[in-house]
Amino acid sequence: MKKLFILMSVLVSVFVITGCENNEDDLREVELDVFMSFPRFQEQFEDYFELFEQKMLEEENIIVKINLEMPSSDTAQQLLQARLSSDDAPDVYTLHAIADIPDYYEAGYLADLSDAEFTNSVYDSVLESVTYDGKIVALPLESLAWGYLYNKDIFAQYNLTPPQTLSEMEEVVNTLNANDQTPFLLAFQESWIPQLLMALSLGGMINSEEPNFIENMNSGTGSYADIDEVFGIIDLIMENGTERAFETGGAAGSADFANGEAAMWVQGPWMSGSILDVNPDMNIGLAPLPVTNNPDTTMINLSTSTSLGVSPTSENKDIAIKLVNFILDAEHSSDLFAELKFNPLSSVHTYDTFPWVDEAMAYVAQGKAYLEKGLPNGVTDETALMLQEYYLGDKTKQQVIDAIDAAWQSAIDNQ
Amino acid sequence: MKNSNRILLIFCLPAFLLYSTFVLYPALGGFWYSLTNWNGLDPTYGDYVGFSNYKELLGDENFKQSLLFTSKYVIYMVILQNIIALLLAVIIESFEKTKNVFRTIFFFPNMISMIVGGFIWLFIFTRVFPYLADTIGLMILDESWIGNPQYSFYSILILSLWGSVGYLMIIYIAALQNIPKQLLEAARIDGASKLQINWHIVRPLIANSITIGVFIALSTSFKVFDQVYALTGGGPGRATQVVSLNIFSEAFAMQSRFGYASAKAVVLFVLILGITLIQLLVMKRKEVEM
Repeated sequence: MKKLFILMSVLVSVFVITGCENNEDDLREVELDVFMSFPRFQEQFEDYFELFEQKMLEEENIIVKINLEMPSSDTAQQLLQARLSSDDAPDVYTLHAIADIPDYYEAGYLADLSDAEFTNSVYDSVLESVTYDGKIVALPLESLAWGYLYNKDIFAQYNLTPPQTLSEMEEVVNTLNANDQTPFLLAFQESWIPQLLMALSLGGMINSEEPNFIENMNSGTGSYADIDEVFGIIDLIMENGTERAFETGGAAGSADFANGEAAMWVQGPWMSGSILDVNPDMNIGLAPLPVTNNPDTTMINLSTSTSLGVSPTSENKDIAIKLVNFILDAEHSSDLFAELKFNPLSSVHTYDTFPWVDEAMAYVAQGKAYLEKGLPNGVTDETALMLQEYYLGDKTKQQVIDAIDAAWQSAIDNQ
Repeated sequence: MKNSNRILLIFCLPAFLLYSTFVLYPALGGFWYSLTNWNGLDPTYGDYVGFSNYKELLGDENFKQSLLFTSKYVIYMVILQNIIALLLAVIIESFEKTKNVFRTIFFFPNMISMIVGGFIWLFIFTRVFPYLADTIGLMILDESWIGNPQYSFYSILILSLWGSVGYLMIIYIAALQNIPKQLLEAARIDGASKLQINWHIVRPLIANSITIGVFIALSTSFKVFDQVYALTGGGPGRATQVVSLNIFSEAFAMQSRFGYASAKAVVLFVLILGITLIQLLVMKRKEVEM
């Protein structure tokens, strides 16, 4: 009702201002289907899209009605793919910049946005992650500077600083253990969380000591055995973690971490919201994960995850692109991004960033960072399952290596 | 064709139309996809690859593992579900006044979606049990009910039984109520013991319900999905991955191989069809008509 009332009053005022020149035929009515996997941000986006609806009515005399669909992120991809392949594509939808763009683009589900207005203000490094085949095909929403999280208060209490090598990390672990403080939080119920261990340590390795790893794997000559140093840090974390790892999911893990159950958590800044919900005074730190005793392997991961694409078959593509541009609107975007706790990714963003973002950016400024590279489909999923079994002791290191190698090989064979 | 038959057929038509649209057509479509390498996304539905998906299935260790795990689950479920449902039916029928109350209580979980039930039990297994173990020292509960594959199998069983026993119980209650009282009385007058009455009169007379009970338990537990999805998600690793979950992850996670996943689904369909057909044939023979 409220929405309707606002719409009506705006309508009336438009008539009055324009001296009733417009009869109803001049008003274009447009419906946009927007699909986003952000149920936790439903209110924020509803409010924001209301601003867009007002703007369109005032400036262009178009009545826009936005149908916002927000399925949970577990099911979003299945729903979206079913809708895309049954010719029922939403006009605007979220997708993962690195994991999804290649497949979606090849299948012809992404419109070319290279000429859209937003491309002028987005930082080049971020724009690169949504560029495919020489074209900009999505608007980046979530850009990340990613490392593990640590509890700054606990580190301060024992005079610790984020370690830069594996042996420094061992010392930190020993100090914490000596003081009866569990070093690492383990929340392994959802398999994507243990997988982060491999993602971060692999990223450190292949961007320093093993730069040819991905090419070798793709040509069939490489193996995870080439980077098996990553198991050094993985073992250290698994051996010095909290108990009942499989009884703890992401949400429960956030609560435990916020309550100081462990000093470090290999998770990402995307959890900051739910951690701060539990303990608003928590001092979250973010640091790059050391992999070996070579400090060059200790790096921050820069990546773009959720992005916004436009369907090329949209009946109202012009309006859909305007909506995408509006996400980085000079006047409103800063408020939205600050509220969502997203990182700034465009020159229109002027809000204060969070301390952990600044901390990560300090490492980036020293050059201790790399841009996330995509792995073939299925490799990440296989890694996730294997690391769960590795933690259980059901699989040995060699079996884990073999299984991931096989998954990589099969992904290449089925391309 | 007789006129009455034709009218009956016309009455079936609306249901048949819906069934064709939402079950038959997608099922046939699934069979077609199983002969392609479609990735679930490509608008041209991939290329025809013949039976190569099926050939690949023969060497798929994870699929075999999930089939084995599902079979174990089916065996436990068919036996436990029917025994418990029958016992509950007999016990509840023997109550005089509280019959309806207990019937409702035991049927209640059946009305909740198993996903919701799964989350309820997930909370019980991961939060309530450890809490009970820590505070009142019930050490028998202090196990990793979700994280240890040995225990998580039983967690899944507990959830599934909790959710499904009520339904079979209603079927058995109906069967028990249909047994003519005079038969039981006559047997009692002839001096038959309780055990003898149950074995020689009650058992044959509810045999057709047992056929239905076993049939329902068989076909639903082969297709088990929501319980496992909500409780363990197939984990840790693949330790509790049932077939339908294996198919699901092949189609929507991993490499999104929709065609290959469809081939697995066809194999599962043929298996269930075969096993339930055999079961019906065997058990139908033992039924008696009154």
